Amino acid sequence: MSSMSFQEKSAWGTLTALLGVGGLYTSSLVNLWRADQLHIPSTFGLMVGFTILLVLVLVGYHILVAAITGAQDEDERDRLIGWRAGSIGGFVLAFGVITIVGHIVVGGLLQGGIWQSPAVIANLLLLAVFIATVVELAVTIWFHRRGI
Amino acid sequence: MGAIINRVRELRQRGEGMTQQQLAETVGVSRQTIIAIESGRYSPSLEVALKIARAFEQPVEAVFSLAEAE
Repeated sequence: MSSMSFQEKSAWGTLTALLGVGGLYTSSLVNLWRADQLHIPSTFGLMVGFTILLVLVLVGYHILVAAITGAQDEDERDRLIGWRAGSIGGFVLAFGVITIVGHIVVGGLLQGGIWQSPAVIANLLLLAVFIATVVELAVTIWFHRRGI
Repeated sequence: MGAIINRVRELRQRGEGMTQQQLAETVGVSRQTIIAIESGRYSPSLEVALKIARAFEQPVEAVFSLAEAE
């Protein structure tokens, strides 16, 4: 039997999928920027496409894990780890959002060009969510491995 | 981690012995949580500690103790 709970396997799989899909998304975004096509319609299409890809990967992964090892209900340790990791992820997200708000305000005062475009700001917000989620998943894995 | 030590593995392996899975099912947690308790990586809630003690037919202080008391 595995020494990893279903929740820990879920965290590993979600983190791996997020990093992989995130890398592909970033690569596509850079290509758009180089082609001077970084605007809301193209960005929106990219976001929708990669969101669907991520959902499909995650659903497939979780179905596979549940089928092979069996799904488990969360117990008190899983819930405690989830709450603490979620709290830490929340702080990271708040920091990211406040930083981006500051960026918008300062950019507005200085009239800062492309960095104030809606497409860039939308992607900065997405980056903040991405980083916060990665941190939450990494902390979840850390707590499962090292203790809480 | 750290402040509470336990004798869960020792008591579980006494006599005919009990598997981690059996103890987990008796107490209502996952096997991984039992592993974490035995290795000192997790201190259970009062409810789970009492259930573990009851499974071993021991008072809770015979199963769990503060590290400073040893």
